[in-house]
Amino acid sequence: MSMDKIDLFIIGRLTKDARESFRKIAKDLGISPDTVMNRYKKLTRDGVIKGSTVVIDPRKIGYHGMAAFLIDTYPSHVLATEATTDTTLILDELIKMPNIIVATKTMGDHDLLAIGVVVDFEHLIQIGNHIAQIPGVRDLQVSMWVQDMEICPKYFIL
Amino acid sequence: MRKYFRTRSSETKIIFISVKEISITMTLPRTLKKIDDTDLVIIRTLQRDARTNFVDVAKDLGVSIDTVTKRFKRLIRIGIVRGTTVLLNPKGLGFEHVASLEIDVDYPHITRVVDALAKKPEILICTPTLGRHDLFAIAVLKSIEDLGQLRESIKGYPMVRDVTTSIWIDEFRLCPENFEFNNVKKAV
Repeated sequence: MSMDKIDLFIIGRLTKDARESFRKIAKDLGISPDTVMNRYKKLTRDGVIKGSTVVIDPRKIGYHGMAAFLIDTYPSHVLATEATTDTTLILDELIKMPNIIVATKTMGDHDLLAIGVVVDFEHLIQIGNHIAQIPGVRDLQVSMWVQDMEICPKYFIL
Repeated sequence: MRKYFRTRSSETKIIFISVKEISITMTLPRTLKKIDDTDLVIIRTLQRDARTNFVDVAKDLGVSIDTVTKRFKRLIRIGIVRGTTVLLNPKGLGFEHVASLEIDVDYPHITRVVDALAKKPEILICTPTLGRHDLFAIAVLKSIEDLGQLRESIKGYPMVRDVTTSIWIDEFRLCPENFEFNNVKKAV
């Protein structure tokens, strides 16, 4: 999976505007639109580009903050009698929740991390309660912030 | 002691955070621009694939291409849509790891630490938070050694008390579609 300047240029342009026409990008690069098209297809096939999306401003649709939910889980043997609670199942539950925009397993202080957009404190508590009710969740720690709500800083949608 | 932050957006929102008792005032009621079902279909379609041809969107909606173009431009004008972007796999760009950092700081210096961190190219998000720790940051890294170095450099700031790092295990899930538009949706 080798990338050259042309690939990076295409990525740079599409990061700023995913709808930009390949013809325009090609013109600026001095190459044919077909080449840009092929490069885009290759980048997608290689998994460098996972897709494209619109960047929403959470503030404009009624969200006032973001929160990180740091989740601890029970070791699986404690729940031996219950159905198996794999952290993957918890992860699946998390990302299905409305308002949760990122979820991941982590190595470190906690077992899982979820980031969500929050309307107000009542909403924050609701989300917290919902997460706490997922089987296997032992403890939940919340951090909330109102700055830096750019969901797409630099390259990655977060 | 009291410290206040002003958000970077044009709307002034002042948050008072005091170290002893945390009291917060949010100036809540703000007029939000409303959108209708047509707008929502356009947003949802483009969320799945931002390069979707407006011809197809128009066909699905049974409206003219002009309408779709106008609606999309309006969504950008009123700020609900900030633009479109490609979703990149950090690994594809050589960033093998994503990590979150929770940082404890001597409170009076918090803005200085935030500014210093935000300048680092590997930091995606860095923000003061309410919670057990003072700052929350997300970083992309080429190797575990880089995480170690980042941690060391942050711990090097005299006002930083502690840094907790968590590495994201593979396959983290992103779901920008989980935004709800209830607050701005016109009542039918």
